[in-house]
Amino acid sequence: MWLAGGVDPEDKLSSDDRSQLMRRCGRMLRPYRRLVVSTLGLVVLWTACTLAGPAIVRYGIDVGLGERTHHGDSGALNLAVVLYIVAAVISYFVYRLQIVAIARIGENFLRDLRNRVFDHLLRMSMTFYDTQKAGVLVSRMTSDVDSMGELVQQGLAMFVTNGLLLALSFVVLFTLSWELTLVCLISLPVVILASIKFQRDSNVAYLAVRDNIGQTLSTLQEGISGVRIIQAFGRERTQTDEFTNKNRALYDAHMKSVKISAWYIPIIDFAGISTTAAVIGIGGWLVHKGSVTTGTVIAFVLYLANLFEPVQQLSQLLNIVQSAAASLHKLFGLIDTPIDLGEIPGAVDLPERGDLVVSGITFAYAGTPLGSPAVLNNVDLTIRAGERIVLVGPTGAGKSTLAKLCARLYDPTSGTISFGGVDLTRATMSSLRQRLVVVPQEGYLFDGSVADNIRIAKPSATDLDITKSLRKLGILDRFEALPDGLNTAVRERGSRLSAGERQLVSLARAALADPAVLVLDEATSSLDPGTERIVEHALEQLMADRTVIAIAHRLTTAERADRIGVVADGRLAELGTHRELLKLGGRYTALYASWSGNTLT
Amino acid sequence: MGIGAGLCWTVGKVAVPQFVSLAIDKAIRVEPKPGQTSLLKWTLLIIGAGLIAGVFTGFRRYIAFREARLTETNLREEMFAHLQRLHFAFHDEAQTGQLMSRANTDLQQIQSMIVNIPITFSNATIVVAVTVILLSTNFVLGVLALVCLPFVNVIARKFFQQLHPAVMAIQASSAEVATVVEETVSGIRVVKGFGTEDVQAQSLRARADDVFTSSMAASITRGTYLPAMELLPNIGLILVLAYGGHLVLKGQLTIGELVKFQSYVLLLLWPLRMMGMIVAQAQRSAAAAQRVHEILATESLIVDPPNPKPLPTPTQRGAVEFTNVTFGYPTTGAGPVLRNLNLSIEPGTSVAIVGGTGSGKTTIARLIPRFYDVDTGSITIDGIDVRNVKLRELRRSVGIVFEDTFLFSDTIRANISFAYPDASLSVVENAARLAGASEFIEDLPDGYDTLIGERGFSLSGGQRQRISIARAILADPRILILDDATSSVDPTKEHEIRDALAEVMHGRTTIVIAHRAATITLADRVVLLDNGVIAAVGTHDELIATSDRYREVLAAQSAATNPSTGA
Repeated sequence: MWLAGGVDPEDKLSSDDRSQLMRRCGRMLRPYRRLVVSTLGLVVLWTACTLAGPAIVRYGIDVGLGERTHHGDSGALNLAVVLYIVAAVISYFVYRLQIVAIARIGENFLRDLRNRVFDHLLRMSMTFYDTQKAGVLVSRMTSDVDSMGELVQQGLAMFVTNGLLLALSFVVLFTLSWELTLVCLISLPVVILASIKFQRDSNVAYLAVRDNIGQTLSTLQEGISGVRIIQAFGRERTQTDEFTNKNRALYDAHMKSVKISAWYIPIIDFAGISTTAAVIGIGGWLVHKGSVTTGTVIAFVLYLANLFEPVQQLSQLLNIVQSAAASLHKLFGLIDTPIDLGEIPGAVDLPERGDLVVSGITFAYAGTPLGSPAVLNNVDLTIRAGERIVLVGPTGAGKSTLAKLCARLYDPTSGTISFGGVDLTRATMSSLRQRLVVVPQEGYLFDGSVADNIRIAKPSATDLDITKSLRKLGILDRFEALPDGLNTAVRERGSRLSAGERQLVSLARAALADPAVLVLDEATSSLDPGTERIVEHALEQLMADRTVIAIAHRLTTAERADRIGVVADGRLAELGTHRELLKLGGRYTALYASWSGNTLT
Repeated sequence: MGIGAGLCWTVGKVAVPQFVSLAIDKAIRVEPKPGQTSLLKWTLLIIGAGLIAGVFTGFRRYIAFREARLTETNLREEMFAHLQRLHFAFHDEAQTGQLMSRANTDLQQIQSMIVNIPITFSNATIVVAVTVILLSTNFVLGVLALVCLPFVNVIARKFFQQLHPAVMAIQASSAEVATVVEETVSGIRVVKGFGTEDVQAQSLRARADDVFTSSMAASITRGTYLPAMELLPNIGLILVLAYGGHLVLKGQLTIGELVKFQSYVLLLLWPLRMMGMIVAQAQRSAAAAQRVHEILATESLIVDPPNPKPLPTPTQRGAVEFTNVTFGYPTTGAGPVLRNLNLSIEPGTSVAIVGGTGSGKTTIARLIPRFYDVDTGSITIDGIDVRNVKLRELRRSVGIVFEDTFLFSDTIRANISFAYPDASLSVVENAARLAGASEFIEDLPDGYDTLIGERGFSLSGGQRQRISIARAILADPRILILDDATSSVDPTKEHEIRDALAEVMHGRTTIVIAHRAATITLADRVVLLDNGVIAAVGTHDELIATSDRYREVLAAQSAATNPSTGA
């Protein structure tokens, strides 16, 4: 069996980190303490049984066959056979238990790790998600946990048993004959040097192979998903040449890695056999001198047959273990990131209804350099219960940040936001998410059915509740017309549904959540005219009797608002009704002109 | 060569226990006469055999992997080149993920089979050689030593056959975990917006439990078979010790020979396990090879004509003529999308195609560069049937911008200059300007050298569309087709592009497919398509005045964006 793994040089842990990691693993394994202890017992027992074989053969030869005593003793021979049977049977059962027990410890550890990291991720604020790359977060939970899973699945048992086997072998060998043990150590320097070199080289080679695989596969993927563009521009040949280069580089990387194992394996093999030869040569001489028995020499030969395999496996495993340790270190680092937006002790529930009061808030994203302008600067705004307010303004001016602050997806750098007189930072999270809901209109869909996707807004909702909220929006027929009705699976990212239907699902979620305040991020992309009308209608139903803060891209939405706020340069530049603002002749008037200029009659 | 190296390895491997056994009997267990060097002789012989075994195990490994990787590499290249040539209808039906796994996982399976060919051969010879040696040394003892070993092979085969689906199950459940994580991270706005952290946490717990269960199932499979594979040779060793020991006592066997039997039983362990694994492997590899072959054997339906005609040189630029065209997508099985369609576009003029969903407007765009062939009728460019033009020439003459933009993970410059990678920066900048993209590109940290895509900067839908328009403009095609190419552009920005597009379309045959009135009015003429036939032709103003259907198609859109017409 060949195991491959590797760790990036910059991920390699210092010895301090390593011992800290070990202690932390120990703490995580505490619930399984008894299992760990009994498993260690099993491993020791199994190793002892495995090592008993050659020792029993030695006894059989020296005593039973009279190599030492010079007269055969069939009783002793039979005893040896019986002992061997006992050892083999015990070893069989213990091995069975041990494989499953080691896996149980490892898999439990992994399960706890997955849950713990994910729970922590979920408690992090939007600020965290803004600053972290999604791909990196996902890879923590996938490739990093999986790289540990690989170790648990194939390597952990091997690592533990081989390590113990090697250590105990030397103890046994030493008790049998210290002279011959010294002979066995002759090849040790070569084996150690070769293993160190192999371990380093194979690590480098593995990383090269991994990178090349990544590049080849992404070129392959682009070649396949972009095949229409490639053909449309007649670039098939060039694209194939580019792929060929990547593919050849991968071949070269593979061959480099093969070369490394092609010299290492023979060296270890040869070291094993020449050690056997040395044991025969020097052992024979010692037999003639009378200081060891033939049985001892034979026992050494039999031990040696099993001693060099673990060395090979361990040096391969070491890379995997190191890479798993690096992954674990990163995962612990993630768990240690402090939670920046949480519930304070003694938090109170928000009232059912109330005014939303924004007073003197300033906001800058975490991690932006000191002195760079804040996204929002000293903004005041009072939204009465049931009022419909629309925020407009250029991209990046802060309108969407203002809307999200109102639902406490972020906390303001300074200033306060309160609902019904309660500061949002003093409110319980559950009441907060119940009263104030943010709806991105471009519906993001999760794997599952349409009903599952709507139910996300309120996990306790019955099918009837869902049907009701769809009916309220006047879109029940649309979804019941799907092949399996509301139970239709949306497939990957909702590809089964049209863009308009995805928006409708998002609105249905909001209707089901039934919040007092709705923060709506309107969609920018245009829909086909028929669907557009349905979405408009559903939106109108949804907004009825609620406080609404909408980030608008459509003129109609703006016009229907009670008040319009123009956010520009981090300030609330203009605030008033449609008519008032048009009369003002400022930014809103300009925006209105560009909007209506684009729609011809 | 691999087989030759394998044979040498076999010789070396088999010789070692033989020499050890002879050394014990001939040199250790006899009193040495002074000056006799037989001990040294045997020691050196063992070292020699070890050297042969070692050198050739390295050779065998190198040669086997070289062959296997070379085959894998060549097949992957062949497959890529083939996929690049295959017609659109094939790609419509095939899923990217599946093709990826053909070119990746399946080729790996084939690779690991080829690696095993020389190894299996030398393993088989070692089994035969050892069997012959043992049976001829002492038949009964040979039978006792070997009787359990075939079961190692059987159990190994069963083990790998059962382990494979178990490992697949682990991968599948890990992929489920990845899906939940990925969805949660990408949909974090929904999760936070509705406060559904608990739902997601529960969902992950359930998936993590599945991973646990499937991993434990695999471990139980390991726990069932691996100990059995250890036990079987032990039975052989015990039988040898029991029966062979008594033979030694009776003087019918030497101690050296007894050790030889023990060593050979241990020697056969790995070859037998490997051979069991290879049987399981061979079944999977054969299935993989079959799947790979299916793709390579698929012929492209759209190929260069045997006697291509060149398009006339650009004195007359881009006349397009559809004559009695009927076409239906082969993969959907539904009826024709276009029925007996006649349409003629004068060179240098522009036409907007308008129609509801499924009216066939996109299909018209896709037939001109011959992404599909018409069922009946014909399409000509400047009088030449598109089926008689070389594909490369045809496609260089027609520039198309698809609704769903695909950009490569590369710099913006490389993406825009896709048609002519050597294009100078000023040409690229000009194309970007005409597509209304230069402003936002220049604001990016690295300007035109900004990396985009998976590992780079992520652009908005509208920005992506403008880059793909620039890409088509740079190709300077005879005919430009914009298939809903501005749908994701922010309505407040669209008028900026409109002016630029007017410049591009000037004097160039252009086909525009659009919903928005603003874009439609760019064209000289409007063709209203309804259910695969042309319902009306005229200017935008004429159609507004005369066609109810046209007003109907546009009205709803206006209602959503224009206050003056009302809902």
